[in-house]
Amino acid sequence: MNGIFALIFILSCALFLFTDPNGFLSAMLSGGEKAVALTLSLLAVYCVWLGFFKVLEKSGLAASLSRATMPATRRLFRSSDQEALTLAGGNLVANFLGLPGAPTPLGIRAVRKFSDAGNDFAAEMLFVLNATSLQLLPTTVIALRLSAGSSSPADIFLPTLLATLFTTLLGAGLVFLLRRRK
Amino acid sequence: MTWVAFLIPALFLALFLFALFKKVKLYDCFTEGIKEALPLAASLFPYLAAILMLSALFEQSGLSQRITAFLTPAFRVLGIPAEISPLVLIKPFSGSGSTALLSEIFSSYGADSYIGRCASVAYGSSETVFYISAVYFAGLKKKHLLRPTAIALFANFLGVVLGCLFCRFL
Repeated sequence: MNGIFALIFILSCALFLFTDPNGFLSAMLSGGEKAVALTLSLLAVYCVWLGFFKVLEKSGLAASLSRATMPATRRLFRSSDQEALTLAGGNLVANFLGLPGAPTPLGIRAVRKFSDAGNDFAAEMLFVLNATSLQLLPTTVIALRLSAGSSSPADIFLPTLLATLFTTLLGAGLVFLLRRRK
Repeated sequence: MTWVAFLIPALFLALFLFALFKKVKLYDCFTEGIKEALPLAASLFPYLAAILMLSALFEQSGLSQRITAFLTPAFRVLGIPAEISPLVLIKPFSGSGSTALLSEIFSSYGADSYIGRCASVAYGSSETVFYISAVYFAGLKKKHLLRPTAIALFANFLGVVLGCLFCRFL
């Protein structure tokens, strides 16, 4: 990541220097402003879902949900850390349902727990599952197609689902094959 | 609107009724959960700022256009239409940038055209990989970001190739 950051940063910077020296600072600032705005909107989203999750936990439902997903998540992540597996299972369920913003706080905490326990395989697996899209219904695309006047906005459902399944299986398979041998 | 619109209020209603039945103190419990929101958002902020500044530089410096021009012939060989190659390149960096490109493609070529359909599948089957890697690996002591990020980028790219192929038949 440090390498990619340096490479893209230096190339972009050099291009700005030769083509549009005034644009550099305004581009940096526009990125910074986006980050400030995004952090605030994420904060609002986390308030909603972290409140929801705490109620889920205190009511005892989180424990029952985690018992239901445990057989699958235990194998997938090769971990026996109940708390981390509960978080990871919740992350996957929220992804499938397409609840906007809900998977992230669960996923971040699960990755931190896996990594602290030295289980890099599980941390990488959870990241790759999230980064290859697990959403069953591409709601954003369908809404955009509808507003662009498409005659059949949900038409792309099947090819998208097949492509998503493929990327997720390929990603998970690669994490499994390329894992660091102990 | 989709079923998600009904799902979210229904989930909250069901959970809060169940929690009341279990004698959970809702207000105390809900606020206790929210306590974690500010530290979480604050821990992500430096990584988001760096990644979004990088994305802005990448887009606004013209670097992304140059790389797109360079890669388009290779994309065409793989069956990715030239019109959607900017979208394929921006998607890993920026959600808002790629959403804007998708709307542009819809208005230029039509949402139901082959290009519009390819763009829909390319957008819907991939994720903002760099952004997710920044968020998920924020604040970890040990960082092995390169391999998982490369795996996700590779899988998403092959997904786009396959998605464009599916759009010819499905």
